[in-house]
Amino acid sequence: MFRKALLALPVALALGATANAQKAPEDVLQGLIDSIDSSYLTQSEMNLMMMPDSPALWLIDDGKDLFHEARGPNNVSLETCDFGKGPGVLEGAFVEFPRFFEDTGRVMDFESRLVHCMKTIQGFTDDDPAIRTKHGNAADITKLQTYVASLSNGHAWNPPMDHPMEQAMRDAGEVIFYRRAGTMDFSCSTCHAATGKRIRASVLPNSNVPEEWTKAVSWPAFRVGHDNVRSAQHRVGECYWQMRHAEPVWGGTGMTAIISYWNDRARGQPAILPDMKR
Amino acid sequence: MFKKTSLAAGVAAFAAFLFAGGSSIAAADEVDFTAMSAEELAEYIILESGGFHLDAAVQEGGTMRARMEQDDMQRACSVVGGGKPDAATLEAVRTAAAASITYPEGGIKLGDWQKGRELSWSGFGFRVGHRTDEHSGNRQPGGNCANCHQKVGDRDGGTLGPDLTGYGKARGTSDAMLKYVYDVIYNAHAYFPCTQMPRMGAQGVLTHAQIADIMAWLLDPESPVNQ
Repeated sequence: MFRKALLALPVALALGATANAQKAPEDVLQGLIDSIDSSYLTQSEMNLMMMPDSPALWLIDDGKDLFHEARGPNNVSLETCDFGKGPGVLEGAFVEFPRFFEDTGRVMDFESRLVHCMKTIQGFTDDDPAIRTKHGNAADITKLQTYVASLSNGHAWNPPMDHPMEQAMRDAGEVIFYRRAGTMDFSCSTCHAATGKRIRASVLPNSNVPEEWTKAVSWPAFRVGHDNVRSAQHRVGECYWQMRHAEPVWGGTGMTAIISYWNDRARGQPAILPDMKR
Repeated sequence: MFKKTSLAAGVAAFAAFLFAGGSSIAAADEVDFTAMSAEELAEYIILESGGFHLDAAVQEGGTMRARMEQDDMQRACSVVGGGKPDAATLEAVRTAAAASITYPEGGIKLGDWQKGRELSWSGFGFRVGHRTDEHSGNRQPGGNCANCHQKVGDRDGGTLGPDLTGYGKARGTSDAMLKYVYDVIYNAHAYFPCTQMPRMGAQGVLTHAQIADIMAWLLDPESPVNQ
């Protein structure tokens, strides 16, 4: 079966490339807007207009250079990093996270896997700026993530559930999503279980509507209000802060469980990568 | 601030099972996630695995751990997939909520609607993490009302909760109405068990005086809400 998959791979890649070559992130979003009546998807006409000139697009090129450059104490590129579809396979890899990895024995979100490769392949440590700096357009992690994510633009979210650990993390994430706690008794579902509701002026995405939810989970995205590209972990962290809960640890079990459930709820819908958000 | 006694024996037994299971587990590496139910794993991830910053100091004293441990209402009203628990559970939640409400000395009175306007608008308070809300003399927690409620045209509110535009106009300021509005702000579960509305009094977010000011914003005939 493994051999068969290998043979089929170049064909799948070629098909994927032709299907998505002309599709820009704003085209993927427009397709979703055309498919469903959603005040969440259409709430910012300005962002739709600005997407073709998104600053996140510059990071793709920066990230591509960084990815293929020999770097770190070991002076090698990231080209041998296995994001789950085989060493060096980047096309469509991002939409199949979080995923269980045999070599670490745990389910990892994309960012954790990227850091794992930077450490084990390139020899970076937690103290190196390449890994320590996690926030903002200038961070290597932001650039690398935006580059690899862009190679899944238009691909349907498809986080694997074949390994029991993947299913366990997704199911725990679902319980966490509905689990009320903290000063205000909030859970994720307080804001994300109905359609067209607003917090102040912002229309909220409904986790029960995959066509809306794919935009909600499509990170990295240029966050206009922050003037920086942010990741899924930034979004989860900010939600937990607003909920008056404890923030999930970066790359930790809580973050991974939540993102496992998140991405599963967008299953089958095309990812917008990189996206632009308010 | 949190009442940790259980509503029902079943809930207590379930919780005891979870906590016993969690505390007997030493390190993440030794734990088989796939051997736990989704509920057990969620509790383990939140409270035992180091997955959340539970040691962060919080404004009310103590640490985040206390906030992340559910109290009876939170546990009873968390339904995976949405919806409400059964009628007996709802009644237990309602009864406990009614018992939680304390009233100001001298009875319930309307405060200052202008202060109430600012309190209802403010979303400040109790946030901890990458930016922590420092509660101080001139920066006290707000009511967060406008996050979810539409009130009047001058500032846009949210729509997660009911629209409160003209709230007092149709209802007046009878003693019964004052008590009802006070109770709903203090702990709305006394009327709507498992509501999404935060327990602003019972959780110590707002003081008696602040509740009186927000009540004036809703009920005072002079308030722009009722113009």
